[in-house]
Amino acid sequence: MSAIDDLTRELRRLPGIGTKTALRLAFHMVKGPKEDIHRLAGALAQVAERIHPCPRCGNYCSAEVCSVCRDPSRDRSVICVVEEAYEVGAIERTGRYGGLFHVLGGRLSPLDGVGPGQLDIDGLLERVSDPEEKPKEVILATNASVEGEATAVYLETLLRPHGLRITRLARGIPVGSDLEYVDGTTIAEALAGRREVGDGSA
Amino acid sequence: MRELELRHFRNLGVQELHFPPEGVAVIGDNAQGKTNLLEAIYYLESFRSFRGAADGELTAFSEDVFYLKGSVEGDRPATVSAGFDRKRRKKKVSVDGTDAQRMSSALGRLGAVVFSPSDVELVSGGPSARRRFLDILLSLNREGYVEALVGYRKALAQRNAALKANAGAAAVGAWDQGLVGHGARVTHMRHEWATTWSGAFSAYCTAISGCDSVAMKYRPDLGAGGGEPRAGEEAFGDDEGLVQERFRARLAENWETDVRRGVTTVGPHRDELLLTITSRARSLQVRTFGSGGQRRTAALALRLAEAATIRRERGTEPILLLDDAFAELDEGRSRQVMELLRDEGTGQVVLTAPKESDARLRGPSLERWRIHQGVIEA
Ligand SMILES: [Zn+2]
Repeated sequence: MSAIDDLTRELRRLPGIGTKTALRLAFHMVKGPKEDIHRLAGALAQVAERIHPCPRCGNYCSAEVCSVCRDPSRDRSVICVVEEAYEVGAIERTGRYGGLFHVLGGRLSPLDGVGPGQLDIDGLLERVSDPEEKPKEVILATNASVEGEATAVYLETLLRPHGLRITRLARGIPVGSDLEYVDGTTIAEALAGRREVGDGSA
Repeated sequence: MRELELRHFRNLGVQELHFPPEGVAVIGDNAQGKTNLLEAIYYLESFRSFRGAADGELTAFSEDVFYLKGSVEGDRPATVSAGFDRKRRKKKVSVDGTDAQRMSSALGRLGAVVFSPSDVELVSGGPSARRRFLDILLSLNREGYVEALVGYRKALAQRNAALKANAGAAAVGAWDQGLVGHGARVTHMRHEWATTWSGAFSAYCTAISGCDSVAMKYRPDLGAGGGEPRAGEEAFGDDEGLVQERFRARLAENWETDVRRGVTTVGPHRDELLLTITSRARSLQVRTFGSGGQRRTAALALRLAEAATIRRERGTEPILLLDDAFAELDEGRSRQVMELLRDEGTGQVVLTAPKESDARLRGPSLERWRIHQGVIEA
């Protein structure tokens, strides 16, 4: 039984999975064909070995750099800054954005011990001052929560001296909701209606 | 309130109650569960205990889950239910059978006010007691207040954490936009309420006690810098843009103090709802200088203003929950309060009293229920 206990314990560590669900999943696997388990284990091993953050933008990839950074048809003059890598997918699915991304890996939340040093802000600053990339615009697409707004304000103060256009997604994204859960049309509209920030109001 | 279903809330067991439209007087000895019943009703209005008890304490001793469901009639009929699972620490709230995604969308569906002997602490307690009064009142009655308050508290806690972590000017200042935006709204809405109801408040005090000139005024921390109100400050909270501007300026002024103390030293979390009596041309706080009777009078007047707010904001008669409310008032004052309540409206009254004779003065025509060890007999 202890192998099943081990598996259940591991499954329980996943977000949204309680003891009951973990047990159900574990027994489902045990009952099913062995090949299924091996395939799942193989997929997990692949993720562990091959997936890593893109050294340029922080998006997850298996190649040296991610498919967005690699794609020569992308507009290199715009960088869209998001909190988490899964939000890249949400924006990509709209099919309306052709620029690059930058993944912060979270948002400012000193209450949880997350300060600027815990986010990939240095990487972003390097990119905007890199003569080869030389972006003209940075879109701050952090969430519309108190923390997401503060993160945007903070980035704006650091980006301001670089003399580029700094924009924020248009209102329309419900306050406090993660991009992940917002439908594609709303995201596309928020992107299209993005406005310049920092005109004396912040 | 037409029907109330109780399951394992405090000592009330499993019961279903049908209320007469004009209300009811619940008679029973102390510690039988009279206040628990009012607490249950008000829980469906605010989703927390008006006595400040944690949800876990509200669940019957031998149970894991309590559940409440109540329906109101009138212009805004609604069925509200709330359940809490102590083991899983989960609260679920629904309105008309639909689960509320956010608690704030389900607040204030009943339209009820509690009058309790402990209300005197609203007046005699520190400024936080009166801010809490305003926060609950406005959360239940004004759209957008809960969101502003929650946003402000979040920004404040984050800014303080950044200050404690010595995060530097940019990382601390990043929270100022949220702090100022939400905070100015909180100050503005509290100020607006106090300005709107200050006349009525004084009139209630006079009607209850016959004399005493008691006044109510909102004093924003942003305006006064802690001391007595400055001239021309009355209009300060009227203009939200002006509040924002002032808030930003005060944050800048206090920057070094904030850094030294590791905490934000200016903002609506330091505001005060001033209750004063005028004596020999001097304005004195009821909290420190008022007599016991004056404090009780001022507390009742606050609750009467709360009831009047419900009437105006929601267009419905508030349900009055009177928890042995006049136990410490003399007969003259309690008769005045009952008359005031009758003059203002004809809402439902649920009152509790230890003895039949206490209930007689307050509601001669109300149906009588008895309560013994949590069991209610109609
Ligand atoms: Zn990349």
